[in-house]
Amino acid sequence: MKIRSLVLAAVAAFALTPAFAQTVTVMGSTALGPLVKQAADDYMKSHPGVQIAVSGGGSMTGLNQVVSGGCTIGISDVFATPAQDKTGIVNHNLVIEPFTLIANPHVGVSSLTPQQAEDIWTGKITNWNQVGGTNVRIVRINRPTSSGTRAVLQNTVLHGKPFSDNQLIQDASGTVAKMVASTPGAISFIELEFVNLYKGRIRGIAYNGAVCDKQGVGSGKYTLISFGHAYLNPGKTNPQVLKVAQDFLNFILSPQFQGTTVLKAGYMPVSYVKQLKARL
Amino acid sequence: MAEPMPDLPETTLDAPLLPDGLARIATQGTPCPTPVFRQSHLHRLADRWTHLLFLACTLLVVLLIGGILYFLAARGAGAFFPLAGNTDKVVTFREVFLSTNWDPGDGHFGIVPFIAGTLAVTGLALLVAAPTGVLTGVFIAKVAPPWMRNVMRQVMDLLVGIPSVVYGIFGLTIILPMVGHAWLADAPAAGFAVSAAILAVMIVPTVVSLSTDAFESLPSSLDEGSQALGSTRWQAIWRVLIPAARPRLLTATVLGLGRAIGEAMAVQMVIGNNPQWMLLMRQATDQTPVLRFLFTPAATLTTELVQELPNTASGSTWNNVLFAMGLLLYLMTMLLILATRRLGRQEHA
Repeated sequence: MKIRSLVLAAVAAFALTPAFAQTVTVMGSTALGPLVKQAADDYMKSHPGVQIAVSGGGSMTGLNQVVSGGCTIGISDVFATPAQDKTGIVNHNLVIEPFTLIANPHVGVSSLTPQQAEDIWTGKITNWNQVGGTNVRIVRINRPTSSGTRAVLQNTVLHGKPFSDNQLIQDASGTVAKMVASTPGAISFIELEFVNLYKGRIRGIAYNGAVCDKQGVGSGKYTLISFGHAYLNPGKTNPQVLKVAQDFLNFILSPQFQGTTVLKAGYMPVSYVKQLKARL
Repeated sequence: MAEPMPDLPETTLDAPLLPDGLARIATQGTPCPTPVFRQSHLHRLADRWTHLLFLACTLLVVLLIGGILYFLAARGAGAFFPLAGNTDKVVTFREVFLSTNWDPGDGHFGIVPFIAGTLAVTGLALLVAAPTGVLTGVFIAKVAPPWMRNVMRQVMDLLVGIPSVVYGIFGLTIILPMVGHAWLADAPAAGFAVSAAILAVMIVPTVVSLSTDAFESLPSSLDEGSQALGSTRWQAIWRVLIPAARPRLLTATVLGLGRAIGEAMAVQMVIGNNPQWMLLMRQATDQTPVLRFLFTPAATLTTELVQELPNTASGSTWNNVLFAMGLLLYLMTMLLILATRRLGRQEHA
């Protein structure tokens, strides 16, 4: 435990030293990282004297660190666990992350009903010809159990039901896209931007008759989405730094930033869902 | 390099000065070769400091190894005992080391599939790499013409330096689709066969380099003697050279094994990473057992660690069990190295 406290002390020292220089530290999701980094660069240009340091580590690292006070803002693809929520951290939904089902281009299917998609992932459907495609065995390519993307897939497509055990597992989105491109009969679930990156080699699959794009998400027809979260810990942050961090998050949530950089990075403005809720 | 040189005059000057050292202190005004004396004094000081520096570096290495072991053990123990920092329930040794069911979301933490996966993939890789490597070593050291020997040595050194992720990408984009298309009627080829093949390619250069050294370090009298006694080339190699080099060949193999057992990136890209591979094998009935074993997507200790560790909350049972897996991997490697050291020493005696 001695080493542990030493490590904690080192982390605390790291967090405290820059606090005097008005430094906001951001840690967590590697998926959200680039967007927040871009926002930090823009924000620092218009606010001289403020330092925003963005580093990765994964969603769970971001949540752990913000709970322990190791960073100012913890960014995450998933909601905090109930235990973490009890510590007084505050959630801000920054962007909408659109996800889409993808498949190898030769499966002959471009759209799935919610029931078909669920049955494919739970293992009830094993061949593409059962959903109107070619006679190819379905190869499910999933994420590791702890992955945020996997949690989104399980919540949205499977409605919480367990996955089939017969699946390949890959962590990085780029590797997943490559595997889907090179494996006949492959199906997977990925951030929308990768469909454009691997255009022609993988095929996006419409879900419930709606294609994953700006219109689909904006109209509320397309439902395979999740939030990019930013968590603050008011109890463990210097009030002045907290104020800067809050202002920085407001900058990300401003219509101007949401309408330009967020869209360019492959995410969608968080207001899309507010509209959606208003309609419901 | 520069240090031994001034040492020579120092000792030669020191010897005559030593007897009248007291006198020199008493008559301080008299000119004496103080510059030389001072320089040698500084030198001795520098020697002492360098000595301390080296000692510190050595201790640092020992401390680091011990520290890592302690860190892994402290975190891993949290899986089995209620320690400070735990935020979750504990599990029993039985549930972890004797169960094949890995489903952390449901509270099942059996790591047998990962241990079996690690042993299987490294065993298969070694089965291919050890004979190939040793025989290539014999060829380079004893059979090949000198120009070829030079070329081969350089090629092997180059191959040792290729980063593992390159092998992984090669396997993922070329080998997997090729094997799947040619042999398995377009089923995915991810599994033990391809990952063991990639690992074998990765460790063959290590084994070759070290066994070439082993054969080259043998006294030529062994080779010449056995041939003078009428043995053929093959007999000399098989009955004399390989037995004589055995301790070092064993070391070469184990170093290759060490590289294979700890490899994460390349394996992770081609093995399929399915923690429930044992369950899957029991369920599948459409292939012969051997084929099924070779082409079932599986997982190893390293692949599971590299994929799950960054995403699990520290202090949770899941995270603690992953640390226990890391500790197990560490101990396995340690045990392996110690065992071969002992084995090699016995052969020498």
